[in-house]
Amino acid sequence: MSGSLNIFVLVKQVPDQGSKAGLNPDGTIDRAKAKRMLNPFDRYALQAALHAKKCYGGRVTAISMGPPPAVEVLLETLEHGVDEAFLLSDRRLAASDTLATAYALFRTVSYVGKPDLVFCGLQTTDGDTAQVGPQLAERMGLPQITYCEDFSIEDNKVHGRRIIEGGYQKVVSEMPLLVTVANSYHPLEYKSFRGAWKVRRLARNEEELKKFIHTIDLDIVKADPDRTGLKGSPTIVAATEKVGELGGSCKMHEGQSVETLVQSVIKESQLEQFFVA
Amino acid sequence: MTEQVEVDLSSFSPKGDVLVIAEHILGELQPVTLELLGAGRILSDKMERKLKCLVMGYNLGDIPQKLVEYGADEVYVADHEELEKYRTLPYRRVVCDFLESQSEPPHTCLLGSTTTGRDLAPRIAAHFDTGLTADCTELDIGPYEHKSKVDPTKIGLYPNCLYAIRPSFGESLKARILGPWKNPQMATTRPGVMTPLKPDSKRKGKIERIAVNLKPEDHRLVVVETVREIAKGVKLTEADVIVAGGYGLGTADGFDVLKDLAATFENSALGASRKVVDLGWIPYQHQVGQTGKTVRPKLYIACGISGAIQHRVGMSKSGTIIAINKDPDSPIFKFAHHGIVGDIYQIIPEMIKQFKEIQSGRGVKEVVGSH
Repeated sequence: MSGSLNIFVLVKQVPDQGSKAGLNPDGTIDRAKAKRMLNPFDRYALQAALHAKKCYGGRVTAISMGPPPAVEVLLETLEHGVDEAFLLSDRRLAASDTLATAYALFRTVSYVGKPDLVFCGLQTTDGDTAQVGPQLAERMGLPQITYCEDFSIEDNKVHGRRIIEGGYQKVVSEMPLLVTVANSYHPLEYKSFRGAWKVRRLARNEEELKKFIHTIDLDIVKADPDRTGLKGSPTIVAATEKVGELGGSCKMHEGQSVETLVQSVIKESQLEQFFVA
Repeated sequence: MTEQVEVDLSSFSPKGDVLVIAEHILGELQPVTLELLGAGRILSDKMERKLKCLVMGYNLGDIPQKLVEYGADEVYVADHEELEKYRTLPYRRVVCDFLESQSEPPHTCLLGSTTTGRDLAPRIAAHFDTGLTADCTELDIGPYEHKSKVDPTKIGLYPNCLYAIRPSFGESLKARILGPWKNPQMATTRPGVMTPLKPDSKRKGKIERIAVNLKPEDHRLVVVETVREIAKGVKLTEADVIVAGGYGLGTADGFDVLKDLAATFENSALGASRKVVDLGWIPYQHQVGQTGKTVRPKLYIACGISGAIQHRVGMSKSGTIIAINKDPDSPIFKFAHHGIVGDIYQIIPEMIKQFKEIQSGRGVKEVVGSH
């Protein structure tokens, strides 16, 4: 068993799906106006990172990239028991696509240290691409387990189970390794008492907070600004269009009672053909 | 400001073919590959280019021939014992070596948005520093004029660009994403969205074996076991009837009621919106929509699902869509065929009751009238 694992978890602050605030006419998101939350998929990655620390020993570092308010999600990770956090925040990162994002994160990870394990959420709810994790693994030259829904570590190797179409695969990988965690993994446990207490204390003392959450920029991580932001992104959103209304011929069923309502639907949609014989 | 910027377009090659990277699980060709060949055929015909297909595996048998029958002009076969099961690093090695061996990189490179395609495509894109668009619902080829001066080297008119179209964040927008500055222009498409060609056994194509040169570091991860859970219930994409639940269920226990409803139908399965999967009410495998599965059952019953675009793209091609939702303004009522505004927990038990009455009445039809 390795003495102490260096565990990184990558998290992102995303606009709250439930809120429509902050959507620009061109389909991009005005992150200043949108309500913010920790990317739901990252909760599973965070759980995986904390689980690895608990079972096999080590240290968990959370890394995020985003505008200054993204500190909120890093505080949240500290409340759950993360030891230290880094926020890469730089105006030159605006409009980065997945490739440019993966490059910036690669520079950040290299600056922060040499991880044995890097955990990412399967994807984000604002981009939905699932690309940044594998793109980061490619930049780092690491093997990867994507769609990972369970894992253990034995003899310095990670035994993982990953989802495939209509089933699963069991794999064994050397470390260092990048893992993207599926949402069929264990849900995030409650905030730790110690963590919550620590964050409450930090929130009152900015100097103290800086010891746990480091805000860094492209110069500090030695990233080439031309490879980030709009300039470093090989793709652009060239146009957005309204999705045409479909059909518009929904037959609304109304009835005096639930019974007549259901009768009407069964009759008119010819449901009988589908029933178990 | 009419500043003229001289742009040298010679570095951007408008040439190159369309490449589909085939996918199979234990020798079983995945439907998305045939769909990609159908979509790729249209793109390559539009540009008057060839449609190529790369397939990796071991003892591939008649798979390369099948790829020709479904539209490929040239099939490149990497047949090697170490490629029997999909693994990121060996597959990545073969694709990268193949692309580097080509005198001209492909114009477009397509993969399926499967657990395999979404694992492999980003590695290839990052290796070649090229653009990749995930989970497209439409693909096309067309011109694009880039005017933004943020990066003057990108300004210009590009006659043949891959239009990678996908729903974007927000309810009612789809985004056309382009990256014509570097080939290959890459995209993944959701299974079940594109249409395959009718197979033609008379179609002629070139089939060529390519060399496989794996390196020791490609074996850092090994596959111990591959399990297909075919016996475990009906597969969502093959069900005739899908009963799907959303946030409107109010609680995870709501799926128990939906399970009872699904049990009244032949060949049925449970579906779910992303929100409830995120909440952990039901496993990811049940998720329908942009980031889940694309389904087209004969009957889709949406219970407490608002019908956001991300969900709609995964099920709008269903035969009959019945929506039950307590909010009359839900977008789902704009594209469902039958709508009921009301409480799921009153309506579904009543449905089950009436369905059962009809079923039990089938054997003794004459009794039905006397009810």
